[in-house]
Formats: sequence, structure tokens, C-alpha cells
Amino acid sequence: MQCEEVSEKLPDYLTGAADAATRAAIEQHLSGCATCLQEVEGLAATWHSLGTIPAPLPDSRGMRAGVDALIEREQANQARFVKARFQWNHPLVTACAATLVLAVGVVLGRASERAPAATPEVATLHQELRDLKQMVTLSLMQQQSASERLRGVSFSNQVDGSADEIVTALLDTLKHDTNVNVRLASVDALKRFAERDVVRRAAVDALDTQRSPLVQMALIDFVVETQDRGAVGALRKLSAAAPNETVRTRAAWGIKHLGVES
Amino acid sequence: MQAVQRGDLAKLGSLFDRHHLAVFDFLARMTGSRAIAEDLVQDVFERILKYRATWRGDAPFLAWLFRIARNARADYYRRREFTAPYTEAMDGEDPAPGPEATLETESEAARLQRALLTLREDKRELIVLARYREMKYEAIAELLDVDVGTIKVRVHRALKELRDIFLNLESRLPCNVKKFPKSSRTI
Repeated sequence: MQCEEVSEKLPDYLTGAADAATRAAIEQHLSGCATCLQEVEGLAATWHSLGTIPAPLPDSRGMRAGVDALIEREQANQARFVKARFQWNHPLVTACAATLVLAVGVVLGRASERAPAATPEVATLHQELRDLKQMVTLSLMQQQSASERLRGVSFSNQVDGSADEIVTALLDTLKHDTNVNVRLASVDALKRFAERDVVRRAAVDALDTQRSPLVQMALIDFVVETQDRGAVGALRKLSAAAPNETVRTRAAWGIKHLGVES
Repeated sequence: MQAVQRGDLAKLGSLFDRHHLAVFDFLARMTGSRAIAEDLVQDVFERILKYRATWRGDAPFLAWLFRIARNARADYYRRREFTAPYTEAMDGEDPAPGPEATLETESEAARLQRALLTLREDKRELIVLARYREMKYEAIAELLDVDVGTIKVRVHRALKELRDIFLNLESRLPCNVKKFPKSSRTI
């Protein structure tokens, strides 16, 4: 065995992972090579001495109490989630929904018999339904769990397009949510509000502020889809200075598709 | 872990009982602080709950666990913008000597711990995983996503550097009374 090989096998030799033949070969080499012997002895001594540093002892009981609290909190969250789902599927809720549908049917039927004019009852029922959906959406979007916020963002598609509060909540999510997937979903959800100036402006601002390449790409697609030429400045910045090459390429593509020379 | 993944969250307690000492030891030796390591252990188990869906049943649990522990430590320092490791011996305490330890051995252990904490953190991590966690080089290679040969070379270099730092610290002593004991060649 040569000196280089000894050096190569030393980590296995130190941990005892080297097989008997390798150990014998190393030891045979060491018996005739003072340089390797000195190095191996020195490193072996260091390796052994590391064992003299005592193992730090933790406050296991304190940490276990913390983990127990964590488990309890998560179990409570789960129970709330299950309860919420259960309530939606509860027979009573189903019965109420059926009654609501029946009532809408009856009211509509009567309304069509009587006169073409819209009845206040129908309008009220519609409004209540809209409010309910909106409340559920906003509530989900404020949950701690990212998956529930994601559900909230997806659920926003079922809310009437004129809901200002939903738009505000989606914009807030795009700006501040810590989870990339939730922010991505908010970009998609905002597309149906793209005719609003405030949404288009927020998308352009987000091109400047978002750091996730995935969100940046989604925003580039957004401004191209909405043909927002106000985004050209932000796209130019991205195409020149975005750290991610794919984002730079996509931004250049976006500028081209907005009909502007890059 | 499979039970936790299925939703039996109480089983996280069993996982904690089984693995918290290993995780704590790794984090305490990496940070040099018992208090920080305890906080990070809590963080690790919180992350296990949070990311339980990402564990693949066919992957080794320990590798996944230590990956989480490494990330928790890295995030901790990133948040605090720390660049240097905690250089005091375990929150300012000297390592406690064993019943038969001499004063010389005690100070040697303290110096060696200081040398270990002075070592660059990627090198320190290799020594901690291989020496204290007794992780096989193959497992370390998988954890760090590097091939086994490279890991062995790096461990060798890290150990050499650690020895140099230690000897340098020792040479600064007023009276150089004790060096590493000569070891027998049989490890």
C-alpha cells in the first residue's frame, strides 16, 4: 500500500469501517513509513480525544412538554377542520340547503306567474348566499394553515365577481402570504378581476417585489394575458436583472408579446 | 412516522422520545449552545408535523430527520444573520469532567471543543456526524448529496484542520504540559 492509499483509507480506518485486510495493509505500511505513522497517530489521537468532550444534556422534560403542547395544538386544529367539514356535510345543513333551494324555486315560480319584475325575496336570498360564500372564503384565507388559505383562494372563484372584499383579500395574499403556492393561486384567482385598475397595478408592483421565480413567471403571464403595457418597465427590469435565467427569458418574451421592442 | 403521517399525531411524542437526544446532540455540538439547540429541537419537531406529508415511506427516516435539523439550524442563523458559530464552550460552561478525569484532561477537552467550534461549520458538521452521530459515510453522503469518496476526503481534511487548530491553541498555553496521548494504532 502506498502513502496516498493510506491517506484515502484513513477515514474508514478511524471509524473501524475498514475490513481486516485493509487494516492489516495499513498497519504494515505504517511499520515502514514514519511520515504516515506520525500523521495517522496524530489524527487517531484527535479522533479519540473528541470522545472526551462530554455529551451535552438537554432538558428533555421541558422539550417534551413543548412537543406535547404542539401535538395538542395541531390536534385541536385538525378537530376544528374536521368539524368545519362535518358541518358542511351535516344532515341539518343539507336539509337547510334543500329548503333554501325549494324556497328559491317556489319564489321564482310565483314570481314568474305573477309578473316579470324581480321579487325582493329572490334578491335577498341571492344576497345571503353571496354573503355566505364570501364569509367562508375570507375566513379560509385568514387561516394559519397554508393548505386552508389555498382552499380559500380557490373558493374565491365561486364568489360573485363584484366582491370588493375578496379582491382586497386576494391582493393582500399576493403581497404578504408567506407560502409560494398560496401566492401563485392568488395570481390565478386575480385574473378574473383583471379589468380593475387596482388589480393590474398590483400585478405590476408585484413584478418588482416578488422574489419567487414561480410567482414572477405567473405574474409575467398575467400582464401578457391582460395586455398591460404599464408592466413593460417592470418586465425590462426583470429581463435585465432577475437572478433566475428562466425568469429573464420569460420577461423578454413578455415584452415582445406586449408589442414592445426589448 | 407512518402513524404520524396517517394523522395519529400523538405518535410524534414517541418519535421525540426515540430521536430527540440524537437531534439535540447534533444541534448542540454544531451551535455550541444548549439553549439554542433546545429551541431548534422544538423547531425540528414542529417541522416534522408541518411537513409530514413530504416524507416518503421508502426513504430512511433518519436522513429526512437530519435534513430537517440542518435546515432548522441554517434558517436560525440566516434569520439572525449570524456568521460566526457560538464560540463559548456550551453556554459558557466547561465540559463537565468524568469521575476519573484529571484537570489536564478536562482542559484538553475544553480546548478541543473550542477548536471544534472554531472549525468552519461544514467541516464541523462532518466531524459531528461521523464521530458523534456515528453516521456511516454512505449516509452522510446521502444527507449532503455528495458522493462517498468526496465525503471521506473531506472528513480527513476536516480532522487534520481540527488537529492543527487544537495544537495551535495548545501551543499558546503558558506551560505546554499535555499533548494528545499517543494512541495505539488499533482504533
